Amino acid sequence: MDWRSTLQLDDLNLPIRLHMKIIGEKINGTLGPVKKAIAERDANFIRFLAQQQIDAGVGWLDIHAGTQADKEIKDLVWLVETVQEMTKVPLCLDSTNPEVLAAALKVIHQPPLINSISGEVERLEHILSLAAEHGCQVIALAMDGRGIPSSVLGRMDVIRNIITETRRCGISDEMIYIDPLILTIATNIDSGMISLQTMRMVKAEYPNVHLTCAISNISFGLPSRSLINSTFLTLAIAAGLDSAILDPLDRYLRKALLASELLLGRDRHCLNYTQAYRSGLFGRSDPIN
Amino acid sequence: MLQKLTTAITEMNEKEAVAIAEKLLNNGTEPLEVIEACQKAMEVIGRRFSAGECFIPELILAGDMMKQISEKAEPHLKQDVAVKKHGRVIIATVEGDIHDIGKNIVVSMLDANGFDVLDLGVDVPVAKIVETAKEFKPSVVGLSGLLTLAFDPMKAVVAALEEEGLRKNIKVMIGGGMIDEQVRQYTGADTFGANAMDAVIFAKKWTGGKQNVG
Repeated sequence: MDWRSTLQLDDLNLPIRLHMKIIGEKINGTLGPVKKAIAERDANFIRFLAQQQIDAGVGWLDIHAGTQADKEIKDLVWLVETVQEMTKVPLCLDSTNPEVLAAALKVIHQPPLINSISGEVERLEHILSLAAEHGCQVIALAMDGRGIPSSVLGRMDVIRNIITETRRCGISDEMIYIDPLILTIATNIDSGMISLQTMRMVKAEYPNVHLTCAISNISFGLPSRSLINSTFLTLAIAAGLDSAILDPLDRYLRKALLASELLLGRDRHCLNYTQAYRSGLFGRSDPIN
Repeated sequence: MLQKLTTAITEMNEKEAVAIAEKLLNNGTEPLEVIEACQKAMEVIGRRFSAGECFIPELILAGDMMKQISEKAEPHLKQDVAVKKHGRVIIATVEGDIHDIGKNIVVSMLDANGFDVLDLGVDVPVAKIVETAKEFKPSVVGLSGLLTLAFDPMKAVVAALEEEGLRKNIKVMIGGGMIDEQVRQYTGADTFGANAMDAVIFAKKWTGGKQNVG
């Protein structure tokens, strides 16, 4: 038996010094098993999800408490306390509600990434003052109260407004992650190009601002989603994406990530790539030659 | 020829489908027969979608073909003959939410499957939905919303329909990315759908054999 076939995904321990910062998306209360674990206060399951993603080299663990407004504060605080007991990997607080964020910030040990603000003025104000006070990095979505602009220029207008505000609040550009918003390609064939062009424009205009996005939206409604997701990830990295919200255990995405960084000259001596090969990430189906 | 039209649509040959339909209409084929041939194609595509053999972009294209052909058929329809509709449906994205992609697919699928659909657009206030329901007298109201803040307006619509005594004649279905059984219970809707075909299936079930002339 080939030695690689005995390796499970959990055994893969990449020597990850990736340029890309991955936000692990698996602790999300809108997903069935996680929802159940939150309701039952099953800390072991939450920690298991955290550990899996830490082993896969995430830069942040996204923490989403679910969609029940009345329970969001208690649930998010519990999740934060549960996860930070076991790891120093920073957290990404996934809520747009300033009250919920303020409550979580009271118990959190190290400055989180806030996910997210948008150009909606009322919420922006409150969350930015929290972020400035606690030294948080912030994800900003390219949308405002009128929705998601359909054009690249429309999204750039929203992004410019947001960055004007973050600068006014004394938050430096390096603290900002712009999410150009990835809409599904199934309902608009231009969705991919709009996102990629927005990324390029943001990078050209605000070189110190970071870019992030949730990859998997692009492939909604189409078959063989992993293929679309991993190809899009590659194109987005080339367009300047330096962070992404994704499932870090997805083999397709990990492969695309490693190969993209390699080809863009970010993997010195190809060490991440060759180490990943030895760890069995590429599987038996990919021969050496 | 009618069979060829059905096939052209199910095979996603847009130009051919529209050309065949035009030819049929110009040769004096009954416009209702042309529309029925399209509806037959939509049923096939709907079944393929449910079976995972056909996908959202194809649903959209099929809906678009259906729309083009219906528009061409309209001038040929005699004044006193109306297309038989399964029933009336009001669709709206509720107040506070402006997402319309999913809603638009549902509208075009219902339309293509022979429903008389009134699309109220996005960010529609509760009162507007209720007022429209009084006049339009639909069998089904479909509420869409992607954001969690859509849940309360959905609940308010169901309550308002109840209050106005309209609820016994109107079924309510809800849909959107965050919608699940728990949300359905919270809002008091009759059902929730995971995709556009669900909307068609529920609406057909509720309107049953009764074929309203719309």
